[in-house]
Amino acid sequence: MEEAKKVLVNQKQERPGKKLLRFTKENFVIITFVILFIYSSFASPAFLTINNITTVLLQNSIYAICAIGMLLIVITGGIDLSVGSYICVCVCFTAGFIQDGRGILAIVMVLVLSFLFGSISGVLVAYAKVASFIATLAMTTILRGAAYMYQVGQNRRIDGTFWPTFIQSSILRIPIPVFILIIIMVIAIFILKRTKYGRGIYAIGGNAETARLAGINVKKYLVITYALGGLLFGIAGTILAGRLSMGTATVGDGYELNAIASVVVGGATLSGGVGSVSKTVVGAFLMGILMNIMNLMGIASYPQMILKGIIIVCAVLANRGD
Amino acid sequence: MSEKYAVDMKNIVKKFFGVTVLENVSLQISRGEIHALIGENGAGKSTLMNILSGIFPYHSYDGEVYVEGKKPKLNSPKDANKEGIVMVHQELALIPELSVAENMFLGNLPMKNGAVDWKKAYRNAEDTLKSLALEMDVHMKVKYLSIGQQQLVEIAKAIMLGGRIMILDEPTAPLTGREINQLFKILRELREQGITIIYISHRLEEIFELTDRVTVMRDGKVIKSLRTRQVSQDELVTYMIGREMKDYYPKEVITPGQMILKIENYSVAHPAYTNKKIVDDVNLEFKSGEIVGIAGLLGAGRTELMSAVIGMYPKKGNGKVTIEGKVVQFKNAGQAIKSGVGYVTEDRKGSGLILRQTICFNSSLAALDRTMKYRCLSRKKETAMVQELADKLNIKTTNIHNKVSSLSGGNQQKVVLAKWIATLPRILILDEPTRGVDVGAKYEIYNIMKELAKAGVCVIMISSELPEIIGMSDRVYVMHEGKIAGQLAKKELSEEQIMKYATGTLTQ
Repeated sequence: MEEAKKVLVNQKQERPGKKLLRFTKENFVIITFVILFIYSSFASPAFLTINNITTVLLQNSIYAICAIGMLLIVITGGIDLSVGSYICVCVCFTAGFIQDGRGILAIVMVLVLSFLFGSISGVLVAYAKVASFIATLAMTTILRGAAYMYQVGQNRRIDGTFWPTFIQSSILRIPIPVFILIIIMVIAIFILKRTKYGRGIYAIGGNAETARLAGINVKKYLVITYALGGLLFGIAGTILAGRLSMGTATVGDGYELNAIASVVVGGATLSGGVGSVSKTVVGAFLMGILMNIMNLMGIASYPQMILKGIIIVCAVLANRGD
Repeated sequence: MSEKYAVDMKNIVKKFFGVTVLENVSLQISRGEIHALIGENGAGKSTLMNILSGIFPYHSYDGEVYVEGKKPKLNSPKDANKEGIVMVHQELALIPELSVAENMFLGNLPMKNGAVDWKKAYRNAEDTLKSLALEMDVHMKVKYLSIGQQQLVEIAKAIMLGGRIMILDEPTAPLTGREINQLFKILRELREQGITIIYISHRLEEIFELTDRVTVMRDGKVIKSLRTRQVSQDELVTYMIGREMKDYYPKEVITPGQMILKIENYSVAHPAYTNKKIVDDVNLEFKSGEIVGIAGLLGAGRTELMSAVIGMYPKKGNGKVTIEGKVVQFKNAGQAIKSGVGYVTEDRKGSGLILRQTICFNSSLAALDRTMKYRCLSRKKETAMVQELADKLNIKTTNIHNKVSSLSGGNQQKVVLAKWIATLPRILILDEPTRGVDVGAKYEIYNIMKELAKAGVCVIMISSELPEIIGMSDRVYVMHEGKIAGQLAKKELSEEQIMKYATGTLTQ
């Protein structure tokens, strides 16, 4: 008994210093975000203007939605490299279906399709046991090819139709894309924290065998995860189509990298089992602000690319030390 | 003066983040002896051995380390190897896809003209194995070897590295009877050759069978260091836990209730050879409130039988399984859980826990349905459920939201038990429930098993530790090569009798 007490006392004593360190580590992305925000406000007078902030929000809410989709997949220990192709094919489909005069059904169809594409990746990963990066890499070229075939070189303008009008409007002065992001965030947080499925995917990423033996249907959960990822990438694609007011197969480059960057900057590890929605979204906007302030300060886009790569590597290294 | 010692560690003090884990520890080990190092988990054995084997560099602790009279500066395991110190780790470090010889030479292959001299490598590997009287094909891939054979390859590798002082960390944990005997024979031979062996183990019987001296550690201190012959098992346990433990196994007698699980004419195909059966036409019966031991050697089919019954073995079992009179055939663990069957696997880290998650997450994982409110997970209900279990099982932690990896092996095992107890099982299967668990926690786990039985749970325990089987079981099935070789009632239980059935010299 005495010894047990001693052990407990020891554990308590080592706490204060460690606690601060842990707090800093756990909330690193938020702290960095605040610091960068303050720095940017001083570094460029153009940064802290309503116009600029709205632009940053608008541009990055699409990235953030993709990042949430990526997060779900990363939590299970997988990765999806086909985000950019989802964006590309969904932009084309959205514009095309609207041109066909399908109205709101066009959006529903695109979302159903992206959900199906996702479940195909999921089935490949869960049942055929293909490594996730291979399955989704194959998906990358399949979807991109489908987009080009569908597009046959033409740009499909949808200016003035209901969809661009909706996407470019706002509710309570919040731009629609940001509004959609907030709704998705709330739902994703709820799913991860309050449902058996959410618990299950953390368990799968942590140790799939333990999860299976605890009665979790690992394969089903994996398929659902990739399908939900696909759905979110699809939503991002339709929003982009609305913002562009057209369909074009030239969009979507680099979306996967952006999503992965947001997820790892937000503290998730690529080996799975860890990750938070809110921090991922902060991660996405952290990257967004960084690119924005560099633009405002006149730094060219190639150095920005290099910096982005460096940040991903640093974030992965920082998360590893658990 | 320290020349007569192979290892002489003086006044070692080691701290982690201000917490003293080794407090003025001194350890002398004579040349050519087998020296046991025992103590509960967290006593400081591993830390001490990590210092000796160079994993903790010499400037990270205070005190002096002499090896064969010299005072080397050990900065890395490689430095320690140069001094003839080799550690054979608890987790096997062989690469499954490489051959025996390749594994033995990993990191220091013999070279000739800038290329690997394979001829020499294979010849040397063969010679070393022969010198240990090991019959093994050096060209065989390691993945085809049994865990016992792999352990022996590790030891052969250590010898080839020129090891004169060998540290073995729980080498017998994955082994069973015959393999242990072979290991001991080899270790005794090595002692004859003048090799010093430091032997870390939780199994006291082995200490008495094998070692010359024994050092007991507790709370970062050396409590006693004495000749093994001069001490009794009870005394050792007392030194280890710092109090007297009279009743090692709980004595309470429980009257079994109704028949709950019946397995009839059950067979499971061998995963590798289609014409062979790993479980061959067995019949077993279990009553509620009964603790039934399943004994046998490694590969006897015990784990395969039980995991096939609950539907988690890669091969499907054939036969009839009835629970409370209802025929069941589980396709996955989820169905088994719903029918009130829990399974604690033998591999705590591999399939029992999610190490990077919290105690709470792990404990509630199989019983999330019990934490639901309005069809959503309720953190409040979950915390309450887990806290109750943690208190009941005496899981030693300041907070159930701490990571499970911060716990000692014994407490980790209690978390696995908590996970399954949370599912309110009527049948709980425990596969090697006290493997790698210290004495104190072992005793607690035995008590938990008794409590469960008292509450009417049917406890089925697969174990390779005979004293545990004998001490805990109301009844024992002994398996041999996929068959039930015999069934023993409590009063018939003895190590001899069980071994006779387990080795196939006796069948009922």
